[in-house]
Amino acid sequence: MPVPRQHVALLATLALAGAVTAFGGSLNAYHLDVAMNVGIAIILAVSLNLVNGHTGQFSLGHAGFMAVGAYLSSAFTLRLVPASASAFEQHLLFFAALLTGALAAAVAGFLIGLPSLRLKGDYLALITLGFAEIIRVVFQNTPALGGAIGLNGMAPLTTIAWTFGWVAVTVFTVSCLINSTYGRGFLAVRDDEIAASASGINPTRYKVVAFTLGAFVAGIAGGLFAHHQLAIDPRGFDFFRSVEIVVMVILGGRGNTLGVILAAVLLTLLPEFLRPVAEYRMVLYAALLIGLMLLRPQGVFNLRLGRSATGKI
Amino acid sequence: MSAPLLQLSSATLRFGGLTAVNAVNLALPRGQLHGLIGPNGAGKTTLFNLITGIYAPSSGTVTFADRDLASLRPDRITALGIARTFQNIRLWSGLSVADNVRVACNLHRTTSPVHALLRGRAFRADEAAIAARVDELLALFKLDRFRDNPAASLPYGEQRRLEIVRALATQPRLLLLDEPAAGMNPSEKEDLIRLIREIHRRFDLTILLVEHSMRVVMTLCDRLTVLDHGVKIAEGTPSEIQSDPKVIEAYLGESTTSFTH
Ligand SMILES: Nc1ncnc2c1ncn2[C@@H]1O[C@H](COP(=O)(O)OP(=O)(O)OP(=O)(O)O)[C@@H](O)[C@H]1O
Ligand SMILES: [Mg+2]
Repeated sequence: MPVPRQHVALLATLALAGAVTAFGGSLNAYHLDVAMNVGIAIILAVSLNLVNGHTGQFSLGHAGFMAVGAYLSSAFTLRLVPASASAFEQHLLFFAALLTGALAAAVAGFLIGLPSLRLKGDYLALITLGFAEIIRVVFQNTPALGGAIGLNGMAPLTTIAWTFGWVAVTVFTVSCLINSTYGRGFLAVRDDEIAASASGINPTRYKVVAFTLGAFVAGIAGGLFAHHQLAIDPRGFDFFRSVEIVVMVILGGRGNTLGVILAAVLLTLLPEFLRPVAEYRMVLYAALLIGLMLLRPQGVFNLRLGRSATGKI
Repeated sequence: MSAPLLQLSSATLRFGGLTAVNAVNLALPRGQLHGLIGPNGAGKTTLFNLITGIYAPSSGTVTFADRDLASLRPDRITALGIARTFQNIRLWSGLSVADNVRVACNLHRTTSPVHALLRGRAFRADEAAIAARVDELLALFKLDRFRDNPAASLPYGEQRRLEIVRALATQPRLLLLDEPAAGMNPSEKEDLIRLIREIHRRFDLTILLVEHSMRVVMTLCDRLTVLDHGVKIAEGTPSEIQSDPKVIEAYLGESTTSFTH
């Protein structure tokens, strides 16, 4: 029986990530840190691409789901991992913590997606943004989760293996879905919803699946982020974080997985390269965004509304 | 006589003050090739939108195979066996020609999204069966040479044919065609007439055809219904309709469409 191409790629990436971790001791700590940030950015961008790229929705709330994953996984490891646990036990519990955070994020995504995905374009952007802010404010006002100060003291459990393992799983899952008859439905919903429903596709169901799966993966990224930064607070998951991920998706080309991965790498490395000119970093970043808008005349926030938004059927 | 496959009983649709479809009764027996004609703005497309669930009737009922379609979502209605094409072509422009048909095969997929991740034997067999079906349908419409091109790159007439292929991929019992010959030259129209006959027979279809080209309608249809200003003004065989004074008047009062072209 031939092993599917996607599975070979998945196994190869996992093996590579494992090897890097095993020999990671010889790598520069700064490089490892940047590599993990790059990996987390890829996970966030590829998962948002499922929603904003392939399915053609416009969510501005990805940081909210990332926050849910970060907070819940941190609360999990802070409370439930005993100091006496062996490294193996710690990582096993870390895996459970990541899944817990991701499931909570998926539930939040489902609950938010169900009512709001009936809205289109700008309205969906606004409502997802609103929900992400609500999530953030809830954490900010929950003393058990550290309130405005946030949570700290997490063990540094995020390794290169975990990070790139999840990168591999995320890319694998999204590309396997998109390259199937089922998954082509996401693209059909993006291109023309009315034609999709006339062809037996339930657009709402597809949108909710994309949104929930996207939220789940963002939750994983949040957990990895928390156990890499070792301290999180609500400000780290604000509007700008969501925008950053949206920019990666738009810069990479909505619906283009490889492009989005490259954009995530580029936009994570860029501030590192711009470090010498620290005070101009944000200016350059903004200039890049403006350049982007000029290169994409349909506009960064001007999303495909489809013919259904106007005109006759 | 068996019950009609599609039945409209005083189906009405109002847009604010405008009654686009006004108390229309229509009974389509299984296997009939029925034409729906009328001047521009008569309500033909709106009637299609009513049948396919894009709009719910303001009053009256639409039943298909003895099932009331009221309150059913469009995708459920398609699953019951009604497929359509659109007057303003609505292909998925970013998808390839083959993928446009493939998406419509989702209704008859045998594996789940989880299978798509595992990529096991059942999944590959299902995908191969779908691919074979797509190729077969494309070949029937001579679109196979465009297989991997973006749908938007097809010439206009081919786009209209692709819409029919996509509709057929849902394996309908009732096919609604909204001006399939629009923008086609005479020889393309002759091809289309042959194709519609062929699929009507081969897939055992009941067809409701909206068309301004009288050549196409008169050659193909067993029966015609005429709409004017949302009201059904006549029904009969093509020759009865051609000599019906009410129909001639409706068309004469209209400058853009001549009854004879
Ligand atoms: N969504 C809508 N909102 C308001 N009015 C509409 C809508 N859709 C159609 N109409 C109106 O309903 C009437 C019937 O339109 P419809 O498109 O059904 O006509 P038609 O018979 O298909 O015409 P044509 O031959 O030009 O395609 C027209 O007056 C049209 O302007
Ligand atoms: Mg029309």
